[in-house]
Amino acid sequence: MSPPTWILKMVQPRGTESIGRTWCCEAVENMTWLLKEWIRLKSFAELQILSKILSNPVPIIVSNGLGQFFKGIMEPQCKKQKTRVLSTFTWEVTPVLSDEKLCEVELLEAFAAPIINKKQTSCLIKQLTCLYPLNNLPHIKRVRNCRDKSDHPLEIIICLLRDIPNREVSLNDLFPEAKADGLGEPFRVRIPAYQPLTRSQFEVASQHWPTTFRENKQVTDALQGHLFNTEEKTKMQTFMEKAIEAATVGKKMGMEPVGAVIVNPATDEVVAVGHDCRNGPNPLLHAVMVCIDLVAYSQGGGAFNHNKYHNCCFKAVESFPGEHAINIGKPLLPSNDDSLRENIVNGLPYICTGYDLYVSREPCVMCAMALVHSRIRRVFYATSFPDGALGTKYKIHTKKDLNHHYDVFKGLMEDECQFLLS
Amino acid sequence: MGEGDGAGFQPPQKQEQEQWMERALTMAKEALENGEVPVGCLMVYRNEILGQGRNEVNETKNATRHAEMVAIDQVLKWCHQKGRDRKEVFEHTVLYVTVEPCIMCAAALRLLNIPLVVYGCQNERFGGCGSVLNISQDDLLYTGTPFQCLGGYRAEEAVELLKTFYKAENPNAPKSKARKKH
Repeated sequence: MSPPTWILKMVQPRGTESIGRTWCCEAVENMTWLLKEWIRLKSFAELQILSKILSNPVPIIVSNGLGQFFKGIMEPQCKKQKTRVLSTFTWEVTPVLSDEKLCEVELLEAFAAPIINKKQTSCLIKQLTCLYPLNNLPHIKRVRNCRDKSDHPLEIIICLLRDIPNREVSLNDLFPEAKADGLGEPFRVRIPAYQPLTRSQFEVASQHWPTTFRENKQVTDALQGHLFNTEEKTKMQTFMEKAIEAATVGKKMGMEPVGAVIVNPATDEVVAVGHDCRNGPNPLLHAVMVCIDLVAYSQGGGAFNHNKYHNCCFKAVESFPGEHAINIGKPLLPSNDDSLRENIVNGLPYICTGYDLYVSREPCVMCAMALVHSRIRRVFYATSFPDGALGTKYKIHTKKDLNHHYDVFKGLMEDECQFLLS
Repeated sequence: MGEGDGAGFQPPQKQEQEQWMERALTMAKEALENGEVPVGCLMVYRNEILGQGRNEVNETKNATRHAEMVAIDQVLKWCHQKGRDRKEVFEHTVLYVTVEPCIMCAAALRLLNIPLVVYGCQNERFGGCGSVLNISQDDLLYTGTPFQCLGGYRAEEAVELLKTFYKAENPNAPKSKARKKH
């Protein structure tokens, strides 16, 4: 008789560190990984070995392979003196910002002059606004303080170098008609061409000349890696795991190994789960397109038949905000359910407005633009794609000419998704 | 291989192109009467219409259901029913559409290796054949093949239809936020 096979699933408790795949594999011999975090144990002894190497108690689900499950907590047998720092994840997300936000501060050459008579300041500003309005530079503060220079407390921008045909520097040339009372000898200075968009740009820009800056706290936090706390990261990982799970199923059906999940962040509910179906009857059914259509189904619409794909499913609007009743594989056809339609006539939700997408691979141009049309709020992806449209080849989510923009973060569970693609 | 197969494609005569465009315009007018974005399109394979679509966004609650996408599905269905190789069919299919395809549709057309798109007016808001991005011609190794574009057929009429549509607001869209200054 062969020894019983135990299948173990470690459930990552909130706020604990992730149990890395490689680490467990190395620690316990003869364990093979199923899906992402299911491991097959040959004997109960292995379970005990495993418990020895754990540094924290871990909730587990154990299956004996006969459909019986046991849920419990696996306590470490030898507690380490120091538990490792909580809230470390094996991945890091980075925001995919527009080129404008990432670029270096561009500078323009200008003439400035010291204000000798401080009382003339407001008069000078008025005069200069008429003479050289600096229309395209609303972010530039016309006057700056110079505390370090004792002979004059203030300096003022006169005009851009390009405004002067002969590039002369005497006050008479800069003020052909008016009198420039209270100004010292003009000098050249370089000033920021655009309003800074990030704190680091602001810091560089301010070294040249004071500018206005409306800080976007989210961008600053994101750039410093402080954007998401442990609880949020745990959630994000859960959603991406769902996408990976779907991708794994799709891969087995001969599809591209890409999975996607659409979440309503207001309730943390999964609205749709889908995997790539492009190798089926419709080559355009990429995972994102599948999910967008499943969201449409959840609102009483929808265009494609996903019945064949049991892992492509959605949560109907009518079941908000109740329990996790996900309709698996059987989208309601628009004509079949009038009550669902009524729900929609009353208004919200409207396509993917306010929703978040988790997708294992960077979307292509078609999918990225489909997300613009669908008014998605945020996109999290794991790995880049050579023709990717959210960072690699294009940044469609930041394209100024388009009527909707969304935030994009990459790197969420990158290793796991890379593994999926290999 | 894809490019080799497509090389057998001969663009239709100008007169033929104009006939199909006339038809696409009629469809756009119908769309307007039905409260949809007035875009009409036809997919023509060897002088036969295999797909014709108009925007179905409001009906399906799916913002990706542009006329081109609807028409593509019809061609796919035709291929399936007739047992035809969809790759061969799309490589010899011309799209006639009253408005320049958007970025999404342009990418979809690439992915299906459609060789030629004849269109009416430009799509300043979303255009993927030069207006906002040039997806039709850009160097994208993993996104099908580039396609040729012939724009400007009865562009004024196509624009006029769009203007009429956008004068009336979309009753299904949520109230837009106050425009922020940047």
